[in-house]
Amino acid sequence: MNDTEQLIKEALGRLAERTPHPGPTLNALRRKRKRQRNNIFLIATAGMAAVVTLIFAGVIASDRYTPPNANDAAAALVQDNGKSVAFKYAPHWLPSGFVESLRATNVSPTRVWGPAGATPYSNPSLVIRALGGMPDTHGWESANVRGLEAWVQVRGDAATVVWKAQDVLEVTMSGASDAREVALRVAESVRADAKITHEPPFKLEGRYAELVRGTAPDRWHSSLGRNSISVQVATDRPELPAPNEALTVRGKQGVRNGNTVAVQDGGLWISATSSAWSDELIELVNKVEIAGGPDTGWIGKGL
Amino acid sequence: MTPSFDDFVAAQVTPLLRYATVLTCDPHLAQDVVQEVLLRAQQKWDRIGSVDLPNAYVKRMVTNEYLSWRRRRAAKDVALCMTTLESVTPPVGDKTHHYDEREAMLQRIAKLPRKQRAAVVLRYYENYEDSEIAQMLGCAEGTVRSHISRALATLRLDHTPEPAGVGLRIGEGLS
Repeated sequence: MNDTEQLIKEALGRLAERTPHPGPTLNALRRKRKRQRNNIFLIATAGMAAVVTLIFAGVIASDRYTPPNANDAAAALVQDNGKSVAFKYAPHWLPSGFVESLRATNVSPTRVWGPAGATPYSNPSLVIRALGGMPDTHGWESANVRGLEAWVQVRGDAATVVWKAQDVLEVTMSGASDAREVALRVAESVRADAKITHEPPFKLEGRYAELVRGTAPDRWHSSLGRNSISVQVATDRPELPAPNEALTVRGKQGVRNGNTVAVQDGGLWISATSSAWSDELIELVNKVEIAGGPDTGWIGKGL
Repeated sequence: MTPSFDDFVAAQVTPLLRYATVLTCDPHLAQDVVQEVLLRAQQKWDRIGSVDLPNAYVKRMVTNEYLSWRRRRAAKDVALCMTTLESVTPPVGDKTHHYDEREAMLQRIAKLPRKQRAAVVLRYYENYEDSEIAQMLGCAEGTVRSHISRALATLRLDHTPEPAGVGLRIGEGLS
């Protein structure tokens, strides 16, 4: 590989580091799916209403016509990279029953809360991030957080508050009719807290896991992206539909399934997956270093 | 066992976004492309979820969506804008002297014609073979080699290494 090709690889790797956080994509996807379901429901309902109308209009009932009940028709339509990452800030108020389900450190230090057992970012959810700089708040509503100038943006049942404390902080509440009020109340409760640190459960070639999610301290999943390869350590066995091919990895019997290699080691499943198979996947799994006593006590905990 | 669509999304959304970001050179567009693709994938999940490698299938959908998206928006260039990138995801500090060269290279990659750029990403980011790239882009292997050869010629032509610290400033000279 020549210098230009090496530079291309490095440039693309650098671009990959700027991958946006999945939260907005997942939220938008959720909103669109909901809208789609509603549309299907409305079309079905309208279709039913049309059939009912036709029936009562006399196409089928003809001489046995009786006027439709207006209330019935209306009712039918009205339904509806560091070992220890300092988060530096912590909320002191959360919606009732919310527990922490995700911590990410790849781009902006991020923490996610939601109802116990819920998938991170599923509605309702609360996300707090420390941003690297002030986002474009053009068109946002002006607000106030602990005497500091803040900006609020409401989109449907989601609201985002951004303000500049020592760092730029962002609170997003999704899936609540009073999202604006909740987001502002959480923002008001955020305080600097040097004790809130996070120790990723594994490292690979000097880089630490960039995301950990789970529902309990003993049920979690962590991952690290390395170019197009995703390396994962989890308490649960990854999805490996048969047939699987046996191979040796980390000195143990592991499995290869398509472009995924996985092995159970010390009670944890270590795996690497990519869009194309290469022996590098085995090498990477071999190189994964598990932290002794992973810091997962925060998973499933509220305040 | 077919994975549920929600499990698939939870596991694959970040790799898909990462691939789309590299492919589009635009995090906003990457988000839009991945959203559209996942929405369509969900509608056909019974079929997609039962193929051998659903993630490879969906990745191909992302590639096609990007290529067609570009065609739909042909009148408007959506190539890399560093200010857009910085606003979405501020770069991690990098003190190596390669920084400016890499940024300048990124700008040149962003200006490549779409199929050349896709071929370059698949070759140098995804480490695909010619045959795999051809399958992904729906063209002949010879065409793939031609795309990559032309892209390399362009990138090499523009590649004049600068001394450390004298590179382009972020955002300069970009559309």
